[in-house]
Amino acid sequence: MNGSNRSIRVRWLWRLAVLGAAVFGGLAVATWASAGQSANGTAAGQLAQPVAVAAQTGPRIEIAKHKFSLPTLTVPAGTTVTWLNRDEDVHTVVSTTQAFRSGGLETDDAYSYKFTKPGVYQYFCTLHPLMTGRVIVK
Amino acid sequence: MTDDFNQARDIDDPEVSGGDGVDRRGFLQCMAWAGTGLVWTATGGVLASRALSPASAAEPALDFSFVQVSDTHIGFKGEANKDALGTFEQAIARIKALEPAPAFIIHTGDITHAQKAGAFDIVTEALKGTKAERVFYIPGENDVFADGGKEYLGRFGGPTGTGWQSFDYKGVHFIGLINVLNFKAGGLGSLGQAQLDWLKKDVERLTSSTPLVVFAHVPLWAVYPKWGWVTEDGGQALSYLKRFGSVTVLNGHIHQIMQKVEGNISFHTALSTAFPQPAPGVGEGPGPVKVPAERLRSVLGLREVNYIQGKSRLAIVDSTLA
Repeated sequence: MNGSNRSIRVRWLWRLAVLGAAVFGGLAVATWASAGQSANGTAAGQLAQPVAVAAQTGPRIEIAKHKFSLPTLTVPAGTTVTWLNRDEDVHTVVSTTQAFRSGGLETDDAYSYKFTKPGVYQYFCTLHPLMTGRVIVK
Repeated sequence: MTDDFNQARDIDDPEVSGGDGVDRRGFLQCMAWAGTGLVWTATGGVLASRALSPASAAEPALDFSFVQVSDTHIGFKGEANKDALGTFEQAIARIKALEPAPAFIIHTGDITHAQKAGAFDIVTEALKGTKAERVFYIPGENDVFADGGKEYLGRFGGPTGTGWQSFDYKGVHFIGLINVLNFKAGGLGSLGQAQLDWLKKDVERLTSSTPLVVFAHVPLWAVYPKWGWVTEDGGQALSYLKRFGSVTVLNGHIHQIMQKVEGNISFHTALSTAFPQPAPGVGEGPGPVKVPAERLRSVLGLREVNYIQGKSRLAIVDSTLA
């Protein structure tokens, strides 16, 4: 029961996310671009939106055919990154240092994590360890 | 026994046996012709098959048989099979109908799809309902990823708590290995040093004439490393088994039948009861494949293994649910 409830919730959230992206999309993309290029420090400050909105409009990595769509993603500190599983296999998104760890993501399930500290975050799928990616936080 | 349909020539052809040892086209023709399944036997490293037919008086008495069921993925709800529970139950019905009843059942992992509450129970309860005396479970990655194997080991870890296990049955030595724990980023399925040490010790005391059956989830041989269809240190494990005259390796994970013979070791991967996967390297990656509904049951199934004392090989019977 929990599984299906969660699944429905996630799908509902994604509909909201699509709406959010439509409304804030232009602003958000511009913000990442300028923040990504800024040398240091102020990136988090530039993302003034509430966390909930950031979660809906932040960068999204799709998982399909056992691959992460953006195997390397560079974001400013304070960015929330979302992974969305499009496969029928279960996948996970787990940091090699355990900095973050999703549960099992079934089809159309999503997982988000807010990167607050600069660094290079390697991650992989614990079911299919050949699936690897990294998020570079500046 | 007459070989109604001898595939030895095809299988022995290096062009078709180089990759996986199986002539898929020939095999499918056999399946279509036989309707339900095949008996695979191997003599002198060459696989041959005959149609699966009712036992005749000329057949020697079986010493025992057991069933391998694999990749039941309870909880799977994808497009590739909207009723994975139903096809699993169909496989259970097939096991219940076997005469004589199998001595025991081996589940080679991916018991559950996502380790959801109750999924293990569905499988254990259903298999308890068969006439098999015991059921042995080896995990797939889908059974251990959420908690590092805690639930699996709590249920099936045995007295040592490690999950890997061996037992003897009527002169045959069975070994269950675990190659889905402790995955490392960018790595492959592996057994690990502690398990390898245990395996080496486990077989040391056995005479080379003891038939061995080894079962594990991920293939112990290199089916397709690019998709992770290999066990990193499988070669090390197999090196301990080379001196034995008859070694049968049973794996799951890839949801399709593949066979290969290397010396005295024969390798067999099994069908899933839940959904098929692509042939190695076909398409962009592994994962559930949707086939036309009327074809689904012909790519799902289970396996019966027959042991006849004095025969150097175990007879492998793969049956689909069609």
